[in-house]
Amino acid sequence: MKFIITEKIPELLESLSNAGQEVWAPQVVRDTVNTVLFAPWIPGADISFDMFTSISAKELVLPATEKLFSFRYRSENDLEAIEIESGEEPQARPILLFGARACDAAALGALDALFNGEPGGAFNDPAYRARRGALTVITLACTSCDTACFCSSFGEGPAEKSGSDIFLYPTEGGYLAEALTDKGKEIVGQQPFEDSCATAPPLVETARVDLTDIASRLRDGFADIDLWEQVAERCLSCGYCTYSCPTCHCFNIFDEMRFDREGERLRGWDACMFHQYTEETSGHNPRPRVAHRYRNRLSHKFWYYPENQGAFLCTGCGRCIRGCPGNLDIREAIAAVQQRHAGDARNGGR
Amino acid sequence: MSTIAQKGRDATNPLQPDLATVVGIISETPNIRTIKLVFDDERLMQDFSFQPGQIGQLGILGVGEATFAISSPPSVKDHIQFSVMKTGEVTSAIHELAVGDKVTVRAPLGCAFPTADWEGKNILLIAGGIGMAPLRSLFLDLLDHRDRYGDLKLIYGARTPDDLCFQQDCRAWEAGAGMGFTATVDSEHPGWDGCVGLVPSVVEAQGLPPEGTVAVTCGPPIMIKYTLASLDKMGFREEQIYTTLERRMKCGIGICGRCNVGPRYVCTDGPVFSLEELRGLPDEL
Repeated sequence: MKFIITEKIPELLESLSNAGQEVWAPQVVRDTVNTVLFAPWIPGADISFDMFTSISAKELVLPATEKLFSFRYRSENDLEAIEIESGEEPQARPILLFGARACDAAALGALDALFNGEPGGAFNDPAYRARRGALTVITLACTSCDTACFCSSFGEGPAEKSGSDIFLYPTEGGYLAEALTDKGKEIVGQQPFEDSCATAPPLVETARVDLTDIASRLRDGFADIDLWEQVAERCLSCGYCTYSCPTCHCFNIFDEMRFDREGERLRGWDACMFHQYTEETSGHNPRPRVAHRYRNRLSHKFWYYPENQGAFLCTGCGRCIRGCPGNLDIREAIAAVQQRHAGDARNGGR
Repeated sequence: MSTIAQKGRDATNPLQPDLATVVGIISETPNIRTIKLVFDDERLMQDFSFQPGQIGQLGILGVGEATFAISSPPSVKDHIQFSVMKTGEVTSAIHELAVGDKVTVRAPLGCAFPTADWEGKNILLIAGGIGMAPLRSLFLDLLDHRDRYGDLKLIYGARTPDDLCFQQDCRAWEAGAGMGFTATVDSEHPGWDGCVGLVPSVVEAQGLPPEGTVAVTCGPPIMIKYTLASLDKMGFREEQIYTTLERRMKCGIGICGRCNVGPRYVCTDGPVFSLEELRGLPDEL
């Protein structure tokens, strides 16, 4: 283990910044009250570890909107001649994410499965790969939590190290640092880190949800539309849960003209909670009601993605619970699915 | 989900389209046009291969992309074609295209009809309206390899004679000996001396017996619904019946989220599914 005293953190970040890394850290957003976001850090800025960030760090690998390519018509209204700016191997600027939580870092692993595949294969996204490869994650281990946290339900919970390059444990006067990757080792091998033989403090234990056989119970309850109407009764379809979520990754592809002759094809975050998300040109919509859409979101996280990728598409960060204007709690939705199963079992059904 | 491993296109960036030029336009019906395309990259055109049932993202820069079945057969090597019904923004822009215009294409995507599994079997194709597009590709491919299959039968229905697409093909199939082709329209029309009747009843009257037969049906949901009932009545089992699903799609590579039916993505696991496979998926069509 290595150790860094609290006062030296700005010095560390400044030296990494000087070495060409863009440093992102949780900061109180100017002009707002009680909102902390991951944002570019400049020397002198305060870092806020008191509150969780409202929005996840996924924008560092999957920007809210990004250009896929640009194009140009050679003359107005002439579809005959078009130039596409060729898709060269994208370059990403190196970014250091400082002060992510274990749930944020672990979520990168869930996204990697879909975007960071080998070139030429399925799930290969050159822009994502470039950004992911240029990202270093220094994670702050959680010794406390709030009522929305439920990461203990997944993997190693607060001690989950996937996605992190360095794990920092808060301790007396500073932080113990555990390097997890070569990138991490290089950073902790330098000043202002010093050797330490201290042991890491115990981490927090958060709320747990019962995920026993959740995929098959979602399958059993799929057609129980009354259950879903009840579960999603307060949902406004606003999409906050998906935008703030570190693992939600659904996107749209759309074209925008910049001038008469020039435009861009863009990719932007989309949300399965929106009515238009699945609405077909004919007017038919396979998920016309909020209940259908909420069922899809929950099933994607706890049934579909696990069936395809072998892991849950949720790390228990709790953002969708803290920020929901309808006060929905994904843990209650899971519990409702489990209770339905228990009811079925009592009644002798499946 | 289909047994043929014909997934996705082998590209370094799956969201980057290829440019293609419109080389031909056929006005099929008042609201359906066939667009013939040639990739600008000669090498790509030469090497382009796909199987019937596979789909592509056809786009117009500045308007957007939409998903269509490839309606030409694999044996046609000098162009590919999509047949597009005018319904929304992208399809309206496609209907405005002229020969020489540029479009973007990402193809082939998705899984094809598992024709390798159908060798030695009779094949009954049942199409309605624009559902003929993927089945045109399939039927022509089956004819290209006629000796591999038993009896072939294509029943193609439209509301009126004017709504029948691919009329040139239809005339050739009608003229061809032993082609097993029937075009039908919903009701009597002046000048129409062909079959009159709704697709499901024509299937019951003229279809193939279920023994050793595969049935493939593409068309509007209401036609599919009653056709499946007819096939069931005739004794077809779920694993003998194939169809293609339509969904709103964007990425075409199973990531962007919207086209899933339960854990399966129509863009990569489909659009071809056997009825048996569909019955195993959550009911969210």
